[in-house]
Amino acid sequence: MTPKMDRRRLLSTAVLGGAGLVGATALGSLAPEAAFAAEAQPVEPGAPDPNFAEGRISKISAGTLLATGSDGVLHSIRVTDGTSIWKLYPTTFDQVAVGDGMYARGVRLPDGTLAADSIWVNIVNLHAHIAAVGRNTLHLDHKGQRIVAHVVPGLSAAVYNSTPAVSDLSLLKVGRHVQVLGAWHPDTNEISIATVYAAA
Amino acid sequence: MAALVGEMSWFCCGNAWGPCGSTGRGACGTCNSGNYQHAWPNASAACFTITRPDSCGVNMTRRGCGFRHYTTNLCNGSRIGTTIADCGPQTDLFCGERSCCGSACGSNRIIDLTPAAYSVIASLSSGLRPCSVDTV
Repeated sequence: MTPKMDRRRLLSTAVLGGAGLVGATALGSLAPEAAFAAEAQPVEPGAPDPNFAEGRISKISAGTLLATGSDGVLHSIRVTDGTSIWKLYPTTFDQVAVGDGMYARGVRLPDGTLAADSIWVNIVNLHAHIAAVGRNTLHLDHKGQRIVAHVVPGLSAAVYNSTPAVSDLSLLKVGRHVQVLGAWHPDTNEISIATVYAAA
Repeated sequence: MAALVGEMSWFCCGNAWGPCGSTGRGACGTCNSGNYQHAWPNASAACFTITRPDSCGVNMTRRGCGFRHYTTNLCNGSRIGTTIADCGPQTDLFCGERSCCGSACGSNRIIDLTPAAYSVIASLSSGLRPCSVDTV
């Protein structure tokens, strides 16, 4: 009987062996929702997850990101050809920059490196009120902080109370409560909009 | 308790970068983005007066800080156990909202997971998913 190779073994082998992973592997899609569905997590509810990291990227070299966690912990994150990267949209490793914020999920290797399945760069998911509407911008009130959210033509979409996502954001009005999924512009109060969810 | 079906999203808390830096440690004072935790709309009487899931017809049991819930992503069947660390989401602001994956649907926002928890069962870039929540 052929032994079943799980994601942990696959990623560990790829990283430790220095071999690149091909995007479509014998395990099928490496997209997070498909990949993580089958993987049991032994982490206790309430506890920190060792296979997850967040922070600001301080150095990039040879397929490795060094990130400083918001709690001061340093993370070494290894990117393989199989790592999915999101930065406003699915993208590639060369689009990641020093200073970006990130969340990463993967497999913690014995040396402490996180072999990343997925990295979400600068991703934010804000609950806010629309304070003003400008040309291709929304001014959001988020926990008392003003956020300038930029509409990206051809990319930004709106979901109006369960309807399919549309590119027309003109129905967003001042005073409405929204959830905005987007990408932060580092060291500013600005974001680019991926999707706005608006109530009726 | 029968599983409660609705919508899930994610939120950041604790030490954080970007706009998340202003969010703090949540109503329970323990919330961290990297922990398996969640926000619950009926985490206390004071919380309930803000979130008002009842105004959307959602009957939700009051559970306090540290209580365990198990959330299943109805898009892929994956499941995660988390503890209450904050009050939310504000269900009444999205009354009647509905998310579906094919024929699997959930209406009304019933839970927000931390990024560490949400990313176990869905991609953070998905933003919103139908889910079921139970206690065992």
